[in-house]
Amino acid sequence: MTESDIELVIAVIRPDKLSEAKQALAEVGAPSLTVSDVSGRGSQPAMTEQWRGEEYTVDLHQKVKIEIVVADIDAEEVAEALSDAAHTGEPGDGKIFVVPVSEAYQIRTGETGIDAV
Amino acid sequence: MSSDVTDSMPERGVISSISGRILQELHSSVNYVSAAIVSGVNTVWTLVVCFLIFFMQPGFALLEAGQVRAKNVANVLMKNLMDWGMGVLVFFVLGLGIYGLAGQLTTSGLALDVGAAFSYINDPSAWIGSYLFSAVFAMTAATIVSGAVAERIKFKAYIFYSIGLTAFIYPVIAGFAWGGNGLLSSAGFLGQAIGVGFQDFAGATVVHMLGGIAGLVGAYMVGPRKGRYDAEGNSQPIPGHSITLAVLGTFILAFGWYGFNVGTQAAVLSVSEGTLAFNGAALGRVALNTTLGMGGGAVAAALVTGWSDGKPDPLFTASGLLAGLVAVTGAVPHVTWYGGLILGIIGGAQAPIVFRWVTDTLKVDDVAAVFPVHGSAGAIGTLLIPVFAVDGFSATQLLMQAVSIAVIAVWTIVTTMLVFKLADVTQHRRHRRLDDRHDDAGVQARRRHRRAPSRRGRRGHRARPQRTRVHGVPRVRGHRRRRRRHGHQRGQCYGYRRQWGERR
Repeated sequence: MTESDIELVIAVIRPDKLSEAKQALAEVGAPSLTVSDVSGRGSQPAMTEQWRGEEYTVDLHQKVKIEIVVADIDAEEVAEALSDAAHTGEPGDGKIFVVPVSEAYQIRTGETGIDAV
Repeated sequence: MSSDVTDSMPERGVISSISGRILQELHSSVNYVSAAIVSGVNTVWTLVVCFLIFFMQPGFALLEAGQVRAKNVANVLMKNLMDWGMGVLVFFVLGLGIYGLAGQLTTSGLALDVGAAFSYINDPSAWIGSYLFSAVFAMTAATIVSGAVAERIKFKAYIFYSIGLTAFIYPVIAGFAWGGNGLLSSAGFLGQAIGVGFQDFAGATVVHMLGGIAGLVGAYMVGPRKGRYDAEGNSQPIPGHSITLAVLGTFILAFGWYGFNVGTQAAVLSVSEGTLAFNGAALGRVALNTTLGMGGGAVAAALVTGWSDGKPDPLFTASGLLAGLVAVTGAVPHVTWYGGLILGIIGGAQAPIVFRWVTDTLKVDDVAAVFPVHGSAGAIGTLLIPVFAVDGFSATQLLMQAVSIAVIAVWTIVTTMLVFKLADVTQHRRHRRLDDRHDDAGVQARRRHRRAPSRRGRRGHRARPQRTRVHGVPRVRGHRRRRRRHGHQRGQCYGYRRQWGERR
């Protein structure tokens, strides 16, 4: 099983859209996920903040990265669900990437492939 | 007192004389009891305020920790820890004695008596009222400075300076102004020349302006943090990592300040005409003016920054609260309630303005706004005491205030430069590791190893170009101190070249 059907969906979204994204993932049947706090730069314009009355720019914005490994359901479906859930229409909504995964192992049972996911 | 009572007793037989004697004994024992109560209550009060003033230390620690980047917090806290920990030792062994000597030397009719100046060391009755009560003020002055030079001064150099301040710079000024004699008191040379003593109740000038000016001079001498000014010299703010810590520190500091100001009214009770008297009015004025000063300072700073920046700045509001406190610290028992309020407002309003001036005009990187909060606020507050005095305006007093502020400012500038220069000679003043490693996002890489020396060597140590090869062997670069450390003798400029970081 070299070319598996397992795919990794990586989504970078607004932190305040996380709970909606989780809800959408549960509804689409992919409840397992990994979440990390990240910061990054994209189309969202740089913010201006003040320290002791002096302005400085912050061009790295706080985002949340969600990683979902899907095997038995369509990654496209997951990506669409995420895209709908995290949408606001303003610059800075984030990005979603789908990457193939060559193999998966479940540590507890020793299962591999689709069963492991 | 008791003799008056017996004298007025008519001598009418034996019974009267016996009752007279009983009355006399009764009276003297009442006096004795009163004196014990007074000294007991006052000493316990002094102890309590010492603990309160000590609590300003965590306030300063949090205030400064919040205003620096996360990577430098441990360094700032270590300086605050040593300011107190080592400061109390230095002040016990040297500081308080020099305090006494400074008073003796500048008062007419007092001879130099080293034994008397250092007698507190073996005198248990001096350990609370003289030592502890003075020590907490001295440590406050010392710890102010670390906020100005934070994030770049080398730890050892700072410790060196801190010892200099607690052993010498501060005690001399405290001896000049406080303790009943000294240059600036009514018995001192200057006080006698002008005719009145300097008024600085709890140390707006003696403690705070001294610390603020020392901080400014220190920050000037170590130079700004890397990245604080761009190539054109424009200010680039380096945000601290926690406004929460800074504001929490401000409130803790203000809490301890009640000890600082109200506690300087050390006599809660006194004996007057053989009866106990409670100094409630004096305490009340001090407590009210302290509170009005900090309130006025915070509101004024919020209004000024709201007007100039479009929204009130939390950090400047915190600074304004403290600057208001500093401005009334010297004035609290001397001025009317509205005088206290106005002084607080002036103190708070000038803080953002003076900070901009220090940053943009002087190009001095004062990290925690130490000079606006402690330096200028202290000077203005102390100078204006006669203007708002309860007893009415006195031009002589105003002159004495101005002269005394100038004396303390000049002393602080000269001695601070001297001590920092000494620190520079004995050890490199500036901390490279703290300063150099940061990227635009403020995500700092911690470098734990020592940085290799610059190829150019240390600045300012070389008058003419050196030969780079002697007898075909590369010359060991760097200052002679470093060459020594690496195993070279004077004049021996070749041979095995020890690599940076290698242990002997």
